[in-house]
Amino acid sequence: MSEPLLVVEQLEVIYNKVATAIQGVSLEVHRHEIVAVVGTNGAGKTTTMRAISGFLPAEDVEITDGTITYEGKRIDGHPPFELSRDGIVLVPERNKVFETLTVEENLLFNLPMRQRSGGNMAQVYDYFPQLAERRSQVAGYMSGGEKQMLAIGMALLCKPDMLLIDELSLGLAPIIIEHLMETLKRMNDELGLTILLVEQNAMAAFAIANSGYVMEGGRVVYSGKVADLLAHQDIQEFYLGGADRASRSYRTVKQYSRKRRWWG
Amino acid sequence: MTRPGPFLRTSYLESNEVLPRPYHKVLVIIIVLMLLLPPMLMSNFYVHLLNTVLLAVIAVVGLNLLTGYCGQISLGHAAFLAIGAFTTVILTRMEVPFVVVIPAAGMVGAALGLAVGLPSLRFRGIYLAISTLAMHYAVVYVVTTYQSSIGSSASGGVYLTDPSFFGYELSDDRAWYYFLLVAAALTVIFVINLSRSRVGRAWMAIRDRDIAAAALGINVLHFKLLAFVTSSTLASIAGSLAAYYQNVVTSEAYTLELAVAYLAMIIVGGIGSVLGAIFGAIFITLLPYGVDFLFEFAPNSWRFGGRTFGVQQGMIGVFIILFLLFEPKGLVEMWRRIETYFERWPFRYRPLEQTRR
Amino acid sequence: MGPIVTVMILASTYALLAAGIVIVYKASRVINFAHGEIAVVGGYLFYSIGMFAPGSLWLAIGGTMVFAIVTGVAIYLVLMRRLIGEPFYVAILVTVGIAILFKAAIIIVWRAERVTINVADQIVAILPGGAKFSTVDLATIMAAVLFYIGLFAFFRFTQLGLQFRGMAENPLLASQRRVSVNAIMALAWSIAVFAACLSGVLYGGRALLSPGSVAIGLSGLTAALVGGLDSLRGAALGAIVVALAEYSTIRLIDPVLSEAVPFILLLTVMNVRPWGLFGTREELDRV
Repeated sequence: MSEPLLVVEQLEVIYNKVATAIQGVSLEVHRHEIVAVVGTNGAGKTTTMRAISGFLPAEDVEITDGTITYEGKRIDGHPPFELSRDGIVLVPERNKVFETLTVEENLLFNLPMRQRSGGNMAQVYDYFPQLAERRSQVAGYMSGGEKQMLAIGMALLCKPDMLLIDELSLGLAPIIIEHLMETLKRMNDELGLTILLVEQNAMAAFAIANSGYVMEGGRVVYSGKVADLLAHQDIQEFYLGGADRASRSYRTVKQYSRKRRWWG
Repeated sequence: MTRPGPFLRTSYLESNEVLPRPYHKVLVIIIVLMLLLPPMLMSNFYVHLLNTVLLAVIAVVGLNLLTGYCGQISLGHAAFLAIGAFTTVILTRMEVPFVVVIPAAGMVGAALGLAVGLPSLRFRGIYLAISTLAMHYAVVYVVTTYQSSIGSSASGGVYLTDPSFFGYELSDDRAWYYFLLVAAALTVIFVINLSRSRVGRAWMAIRDRDIAAAALGINVLHFKLLAFVTSSTLASIAGSLAAYYQNVVTSEAYTLELAVAYLAMIIVGGIGSVLGAIFGAIFITLLPYGVDFLFEFAPNSWRFGGRTFGVQQGMIGVFIILFLLFEPKGLVEMWRRIETYFERWPFRYRPLEQTRR
Repeated sequence: MGPIVTVMILASTYALLAAGIVIVYKASRVINFAHGEIAVVGGYLFYSIGMFAPGSLWLAIGGTMVFAIVTGVAIYLVLMRRLIGEPFYVAILVTVGIAILFKAAIIIVWRAERVTINVADQIVAILPGGAKFSTVDLATIMAAVLFYIGLFAFFRFTQLGLQFRGMAENPLLASQRRVSVNAIMALAWSIAVFAACLSGVLYGGRALLSPGSVAIGLSGLTAALVGGLDSLRGAALGAIVVALAEYSTIRLIDPVLSEAVPFILLLTVMNVRPWGLFGTREELDRV
């Protein structure tokens, strides 16, 4: 396997100097791979994503330990503007499109004038024909699924080497999630785009990912190839709905009171 | 039972305490005793200075209620001071005694506050600022017209005789000092208790997230109006007292710069804290005198052309900006940092913000 | 004909100021209370450069332009940028502080003298009613018109304008999409300060500049509010409304009362339609 594109090592993030959000988080993303990070709310996925994409310094949050390396260079603490120039593009969880601009204007946001009718736009419209139909519609009036398509389309036009997608499936109908995941897989196949997915919907994420990380309580508790993850009993029970008994309580999951431990 | 560490409050009663630590109580007693001394020790000039500060304190704690606790910006403070002063003028010309005039001035201020607040407080902060700006000019126009209509004296302004307070005539700076000290103390205690009550909590809820406050059943308009009316009442009372103290009232004194100076007191002292308002009042009131003092060292040519006035004004602007940029929580935050350093010595970690208020 | 032209000249002054206020508000949701003061300082500066090197109009123009751009960038980089994330009133209070500073500067540097800018003031036409229409008057109207056309074209047709609009709505997203928020904000402030100085200089060419002239800032703010704080065409229309109201008050009611006109308009707008003629209603809640 080639050199990893993104390496996160022993990352620790602390909020307000007292609350540890994530600790000892390590992950690797290789070129042309799709990696999924899954977990429940409060597991630390979004914090990890924010740390990688450079959004932490805006609040009273610090990276107190660990490193983030991209293409061999340290990038922890770099602002989003710099990172997007390096090729890391984030599709955020909320506020992912410019609601007062039309679809076309959203896409043109990053495109210099001469490329307007050129190849890149056509590529986006090829992946998302619905956007082509709604070119002049103001983005704020589109449905959630269409906005998500627009957001990914906008991100594509930034010429990313690695795409970070935060909670793609939130608020979307299953069929749309499936469609979006398939489109992402297509992009990965055709363009060689590396994708890091952060998802609560583990099933949808594992459907297209090559490898995955499971986070709980601020730590990575399991990682590996997707095939292995899918076969793991605990993951099946807690994330994939494969329980063979009546539902477990949230408390049980959170407090590690399970028969099989993660390292068993 | 052992007390938890210095920065952990474990009950509502504790978090509501005004003087939580033993040394606070001692400090307050010492300060009260010290405050009784100045008239006996200092010359008239300094006592006069202290009186000016006390008048500012009475006016500014009201503004702090509005801006600090309720989060609304008002540029109308000078107007309310003017209202208080001119109500005093009108009433004393009708031979109304001092003890009636003061509350009456307060009520006139309250009425104006209600009239202006009702339409403007429906919306958020900045619109109140603009409405009070308009109100300021309207009030100044009215009082200027009144002043010319009753014919002012040669130096401009209307004269008032010294008031008599239950038979005792307040003519001397020293007598005024004790009177104003008591008045300021009463105002401060009133404001502190108000902020610890249901009303104060409602205000803080509105300041932090007014939509959430409304969802919790707080009538936002009602409480904003209450804050505005309270602050305008206190300002009018302060204006009335100032009128009696200075014995002369002129409409030119009530400029927009004065209103901004009061805002500056809140900013410099610390938004949202009574102690901060007091610090700010002291700082901004003494600032022009400080500038004057510095100018005594400057070459003579600098002093002409009204430069001192310009510098005094400019300094207020500079301090507003400096404090907003570097110490937005004001002087009181500096004080609290010193306090917590000693409190938690030899520990070093900063406590969470929330536990400190 | 005569009164219409006079109103247009007045409206042009206010329109330039209002444009600056709207641009800053659109970019950062900050209402700049220092606009009038900045305009007057620009006028004084022009005067001083003119006094220093009489006859060289271009030097004065160039110097003031440089001042405007530098001041605009400085205000953003040094002051406003550090206030990101603070409650909205903090930025507004800082602009109040700036206003005080600029006004104090007038008193300290120029000793509060009243000055007029005497630029080759030729009469271009005599209007019906006897009023004289000079080059400065013409320049005022032309400046406002050209400035607005330029702004509209900028926002509509250039990519930078598009990025500005996007950044105005969602700075975080814009930053993720490779747009330098700092650069655009600094640009917004420069344009705003430039418009203010332009207005101040032209005003000084027609009327007396004094510390009291900062009141034009208030009329400009009223114009912006009447039109809607986030709408440029609203600013233009608002300027016309304010100018018309002031002129009518001077002519038909009472000249002294004309000072109060902006405030009466402000209060009316606030109560009847707070988001202005063309402003978006949601903006109101954001404030």
